[in-house]
Amino acid sequence: MTYTEIVNKYLDKDTIIEKNNNLILFHVATDSIIDTCLNLRDKHQLLLKAIKATDERAENGGYKIFYIFGIPGSEFFIVPYLLIRDANEFPSLAPFIYQASLYELEIKSFFGLTPVGHPQIRPFLVHNNWPADIYPLRKDFHFQKRPATAATPYEFQKVDGEGIYEIPVGPVHAGIIEPGHFRFSVAGEEIVSLEPKFGYTHKGSEKLFEELPFDDKIRLSERISGDTSFTHSLSYCQAVETLSNTIISSRAKYIRVIYSELERLANHFNDVGFIISDTGFSFGGNGPRLREKIMQLCELLTGSRFLRGVNTIGGITKDISKEMQTTLEYELQKMKKDFEEVIAVIEDSESVLNRLKGTGKIDKQIATDHGVVGIAARAVGLPRDARSEYPYAAYSEINMKIASQSTGDVHARFQVRISEIYSSIDIIFQALKKMPKGNILNKTAKKLEKNAYAIGITEGWRGDILYFVATDSKGEISRVGVRDASFLNWSAVPYAVVGNIVPDFPLINKSFNLSYSAFDR
Amino acid sequence: MSIFIIILKLILLPTLSPLCVGIVRKVKAYMQNRRGAGIFQPYYDLWKLFHKDEVIARDASWIFYLTPFLLFGLSILLPLGIPLLGSIESLSFFGDFIITIYLLATMTFFIALSGLDVGSAFGGFGSSREMTIAALTEGTLLFSFLPIALVTHTTNVILMATTASGLPFFNYLPFVIAFMGFFIALMAETGRIPFDNPSTHLELTMIHEAMILEYSGKRLALIEWANANKFIFFIILGVNLFFPWGLSTTANLSSLLFPFILVIVKATTLIVGVAILESSMAKLRLFRLPDLLLTGFIFCVISLITVTI
Repeated sequence: MTYTEIVNKYLDKDTIIEKNNNLILFHVATDSIIDTCLNLRDKHQLLLKAIKATDERAENGGYKIFYIFGIPGSEFFIVPYLLIRDANEFPSLAPFIYQASLYELEIKSFFGLTPVGHPQIRPFLVHNNWPADIYPLRKDFHFQKRPATAATPYEFQKVDGEGIYEIPVGPVHAGIIEPGHFRFSVAGEEIVSLEPKFGYTHKGSEKLFEELPFDDKIRLSERISGDTSFTHSLSYCQAVETLSNTIISSRAKYIRVIYSELERLANHFNDVGFIISDTGFSFGGNGPRLREKIMQLCELLTGSRFLRGVNTIGGITKDISKEMQTTLEYELQKMKKDFEEVIAVIEDSESVLNRLKGTGKIDKQIATDHGVVGIAARAVGLPRDARSEYPYAAYSEINMKIASQSTGDVHARFQVRISEIYSSIDIIFQALKKMPKGNILNKTAKKLEKNAYAIGITEGWRGDILYFVATDSKGEISRVGVRDASFLNWSAVPYAVVGNIVPDFPLINKSFNLSYSAFDR
Repeated sequence: MSIFIIILKLILLPTLSPLCVGIVRKVKAYMQNRRGAGIFQPYYDLWKLFHKDEVIARDASWIFYLTPFLLFGLSILLPLGIPLLGSIESLSFFGDFIITIYLLATMTFFIALSGLDVGSAFGGFGSSREMTIAALTEGTLLFSFLPIALVTHTTNVILMATTASGLPFFNYLPFVIAFMGFFIALMAETGRIPFDNPSTHLELTMIHEAMILEYSGKRLALIEWANANKFIFFIILGVNLFFPWGLSTTANLSSLLFPFILVIVKATTLIVGVAILESSMAKLRLFRLPDLLLTGFIFCVISLITVTI
């Protein structure tokens, strides 16, 4: 869809549009923002991809809040925004669009703007020992300042009833996994309610993005979620490339596709294996084995098992040589066969399938309401996939089918991963064939547009990853907003768990396998 | 002389029990294409734990302190009632299978209590799950002994086994059926897949491990060792009661060598069998476990019917 078509279709004639790179911005008065957003969602069926705020008191005398709506099939985003000048509050969308709830709490924690009408305002992402009146993303907060230790109270929901007891789990778990606290309310073995609490790995990454030197910002983006290094940095690089009007060579685009899919393969192999291991079927150990092969392949190709240091503004740093292409094709062919054998054994095991089927169901409506993306969305039949919705890199030139299941249980998420493993291998083969010759890195002027915004979106292996990047009047990056798929999908986990029994929780959790680090940032 | 054999048995089984655990883990590792730790690793683990300090919750009562000793004591006493080599070991005052089963139940009872004792959430649900399963296992276990008791006209396990060893070959059919019931109870009692996953780190799925999460150091070592003892006890009981061929019926010392070699072969086979079964299936959903135990119970009843008609 072209720019004019979008404007004609989705916006009123009298809207004053400020086009800014791939954002179609327009200012909305505070009291009509809810109607505008509901109109975009309900009448035009657009998806709210993120809500991000900026502190522009120096330039515009106030805070801006951006409501980012994606338009499938187009590179543009429709972004109504609020400018909050003399108040510290804004109307809450949460009662109407559930997924807005977490974004608004985030804005409350980081900018100190109160979402009026939000049903449950509570400390979010910052730890209890962080003072409630210090807002780290405001420009007047210095990133190295250490505030005095506070003790902000945090109340969990109480479920009353005969025989209902609470199980607190975490934040420190058995095994080497990230920290998060889960509060189960349980009747016997049945889970009545689950309330997760996060923020234990909050590292102030978005603030750090504003402070680090230009080249280090890419390195930071690779570390938002360690297992998704490549797609995260790709998302960031795409946003900055838009801001600096850099054109990427066709070869670099194809190689970006190949590396993205290798990352997806590594993680999907791992998850398929671990879901099986979590049922107690030790055969699942084959998943991590296959993952390791991909990791070694990645190291061979780029020198980094996690594909770090590969993405850069203007392209990529590691080419794939002719010999490497043959090796890659040969190894993947072998791995595909290997994987088929593994899956055949698993599908043959009635005891495994019985554990997966019907466990951890989410409803399609709940997935829609909470803006669930990625694997979890495709497992309920929602065709959400940034690779085909917002084609980036060379994805528009590649044939791919979005994996889809309808049951929404652990088995569905398991199946989505399996079909994506096959499609990823296929995508790599296509890309290797179509990849043109040429350079992989275009020179960029490090000058960015002034007072500009850009959005980068990619499909990580969990779901889409969105970077919102803003520059100030000097052309320096003044704000980087990160939204990982985990941020949305964590809100679906409690729904998937209710009604299941406690010993099935690890399996359900593993079938989502969301990142704590990317949620907390 | 029989007293020496009995003392030898009481020392030998606890000495070998960590080895059995080591063998199970090794076979499982092979099944998973891993090399795995050496079969003597459980001994090193016990050694390590015995040299560690303990952390004990402030709320712990005497139950928590006492349970490991009680478990270990009972676990080395249990083999007294089962045959390792033959009738030479039989005692007039001990060895009734009902006593054996309720000694096991005592162990379960105390470990469940100690799981509840310190008041952690994991211990609580571990105990509740354990009691659910134990209540159902008990019946299956009891009924698996009955057919043999009926055939041999005794309830003393050692006499049951030695008498049965002289039976003609075709009389073993009910034994095999009862063994299937016994085997399901074995997997449940020793906390193996499909009932419990002994190697999991996921607290929420645990049964046995959840109850002992609060233990550390020396007491944990005792509990681990007691579990290994319980495992070897079930293995020896399984192979010698249900497949009692070759048990010695005389008090002659020279006639004990063959039963000794045979029991090692039989026990190793069963241990490897357990390991292979554990590797070839997933853990069952918690609420499907009663179905499986009921299946075991039905096996025992069928066996009982074949014996009586």
